[in-house]
Amino acid sequence: MKRLYGVIAVLLVAALLMPACAPKAPDCTKADVFCVGMVTDVGKIDDKSFNQSTWEGVKLAEKELGAIVQYLETTDSKDYAKNISTFADAGYDVIVTVGFALGEATAAAAVQYPNIKFIGVDQFQAWPYDEDKTNDIANLAGLNFPEDQAGFLVGALAAQMTKSGKIGGVFGTDVVPPVWRFGEGYRAGAQYITPAIELFIVYHNDVGFDKTFTDPEWGATTANSMIDKGADVIFGGGGKTGNGAVIAAAQRSVYAIGVDTDQYYTLPEAQKMLLSSAMKLLTPGTLELIKLAKEGKFPSGNYLGKGGYAPYHDLDSQVPAEVKTKMEAINAGLLDGSLLTNVPPVKP
Amino acid sequence: MQSSEERTSPQTKSIMRFLRPTLNALGVPLLAVLTAMIVGGLIIAFAGGDPFMAYIGLFQGALGSPRALSETAVWASPYIFAGLAVALAFRGGLFNIGAEGQLAFGAVMAALIGYALPGWLHIDLPAFIHIPLAVGFGALAGALWAAIPGALKAYTGGHEVINTIMMNYIALNLTSFLLNGPMRDPNPLNVIARTPGIAESARIPPIFSGFRVHWGFILALLVALAVWWLLWKTTLGFEIRTVGANPDAAKYAGIDTKRTIVLTMALSGLLAGLAGTIEVTALNYRHELGFSIGYGFDAIAIALLGKTHPLGVVLAALLFAAMRNGGTRMQFLTQIPVDIISVIQALILLFVAADAIIRYIYRIRAREERVVLTRGWGG
Repeated sequence: MKRLYGVIAVLLVAALLMPACAPKAPDCTKADVFCVGMVTDVGKIDDKSFNQSTWEGVKLAEKELGAIVQYLETTDSKDYAKNISTFADAGYDVIVTVGFALGEATAAAAVQYPNIKFIGVDQFQAWPYDEDKTNDIANLAGLNFPEDQAGFLVGALAAQMTKSGKIGGVFGTDVVPPVWRFGEGYRAGAQYITPAIELFIVYHNDVGFDKTFTDPEWGATTANSMIDKGADVIFGGGGKTGNGAVIAAAQRSVYAIGVDTDQYYTLPEAQKMLLSSAMKLLTPGTLELIKLAKEGKFPSGNYLGKGGYAPYHDLDSQVPAEVKTKMEAINAGLLDGSLLTNVPPVKP
Repeated sequence: MQSSEERTSPQTKSIMRFLRPTLNALGVPLLAVLTAMIVGGLIIAFAGGDPFMAYIGLFQGALGSPRALSETAVWASPYIFAGLAVALAFRGGLFNIGAEGQLAFGAVMAALIGYALPGWLHIDLPAFIHIPLAVGFGALAGALWAAIPGALKAYTGGHEVINTIMMNYIALNLTSFLLNGPMRDPNPLNVIARTPGIAESARIPPIFSGFRVHWGFILALLVALAVWWLLWKTTLGFEIRTVGANPDAAKYAGIDTKRTIVLTMALSGLLAGLAGTIEVTALNYRHELGFSIGYGFDAIAIALLGKTHPLGVVLAALLFAAMRNGGTRMQFLTQIPVDIISVIQALILLFVAADAIIRYIYRIRAREERVVLTRGWGG
């Protein structure tokens, strides 16, 4: 028993001594030290999706702007506020939060810490609806993306690559505006190339929200039935449901198109038939906002990033040169505003 | 030669008489925690991290400032309730794996009463009525949900381990349906499955302004005391423990074992329901799909680490809460993935469950009674 008491005594002494040796870290409270912190949604930093792409943008800020960067992975939604204030209390200059779910915690923190700039990735700011800029929180910008433009690009690509004249799209749900914009942008892009093109577009609206994005079997079945009807390009959008469609298309050896990030890296089983992906360009969007924050030109309200399409990777040789040229022209047109998708922000 | 026992003064002796059993009871769990921390530290070092820096961060994040303490208490609140739920069932010879589902059901009910009741009654409720109603109905929902597998066990012999697991699936899918359908926050900008915010009058306030720690934490401590009182100072508690220790003897002694089993499960579910209720009424102010994932399972570990005793459960819940809370600062200082916290928690559980390892390492003789956790079919 004596030994036991001894061990407990040592443990207690060690616990008391611990706070005495404080760790050394770069002092972000100094004016000349520029620090950027990122809080993930409930997920990992290397999710090959939003968290990872945003973190790559933050890493670029480290390289290009000499920023001190750091991230915190969130394991439980009740930690959002605490994780944000961990950075805020350490004197960070910019805090990036990833995902819609952090919207409220981010807005509350922005009010609490008016001297820190907050970037909310994929967090649509409600007040611009009434177009009154005075309602904005001055130090908070929501980084959003023109999903319709990304969808438009891959729609145009699909319409140029199809041989049967029939293309398909399998999506999570039209209730979530970004998903709907991907789908309708796809439709608009395809019809821009071939007005009479035969389109199969299906949203998985028939199930609960927890299933709409996590139903790869349904995605695969739906894609397969479109292929049976003659579709030879399939665009899958909406979490695992869309991934199911993309993988099914690749297995049937028809062209597949991914969504959000370059899915060549996230869906290795679809690589050989993955034509492209409709991308939200999170990495440059994040970097751009961090730059604006550093230069003192930080915008408030909604900041629109860019949409794009991923490289053709393994299928590069199968894409004719004139299609590549056309795609670049469409992309340039969408970027400078001379070409419009005519897709409204939310489903009317 | 005098033995050390005789040299000590009478006061020390009486203190030791009180301390020794406490230390004996705490000994194995404490050493399990210590050993798990050492093994966890080795894993961190092996992965290229600095274990000392990591533990400094963990300590600072959990206890190093008023805000850290407040957040640890916030984490501890549902852990105490849910840990008590599992511990109480263990005392009654039942293994309640369904705390997760009971918790979710309690949270849904509390949220519903919280946001919809004033509208149904067309009046603004004062807080002293609205809060007890929301908390009460949340607890009741958990109790009813747990009473079902309790009744199945008592009257049909259906094993509660299987039935509570299956009830978890029903509860979680039902919750998901409700949050996506009838109870979904109708705000057009909302894209996630969650209820509207509950009314101001249903919100349990924080204890200190500027910190999130709320009266639900105090309630959790009081409820722990109440569970201790119930188990060891009341007839019902005696019946629960007797049925847990030996159902046949209990029956022979004239205890209505079937009724006791149903009641034990209902009480266990009530406590689990409170865990969900407190999260909704005192912290999140709404129910959101995805919160609380795993609290009901952590609760099993907490009940085991706490030796199924209310005081032990409170201590174990505080430890788990401190680790989950301190993980943020550990990550901030060292960039060690927070998953290491789960690894250490799993190691603690392993060493507590297989206490022969700890006894062997630290040469402790087995003296305590073993807790009967669950029994087989028809037991």
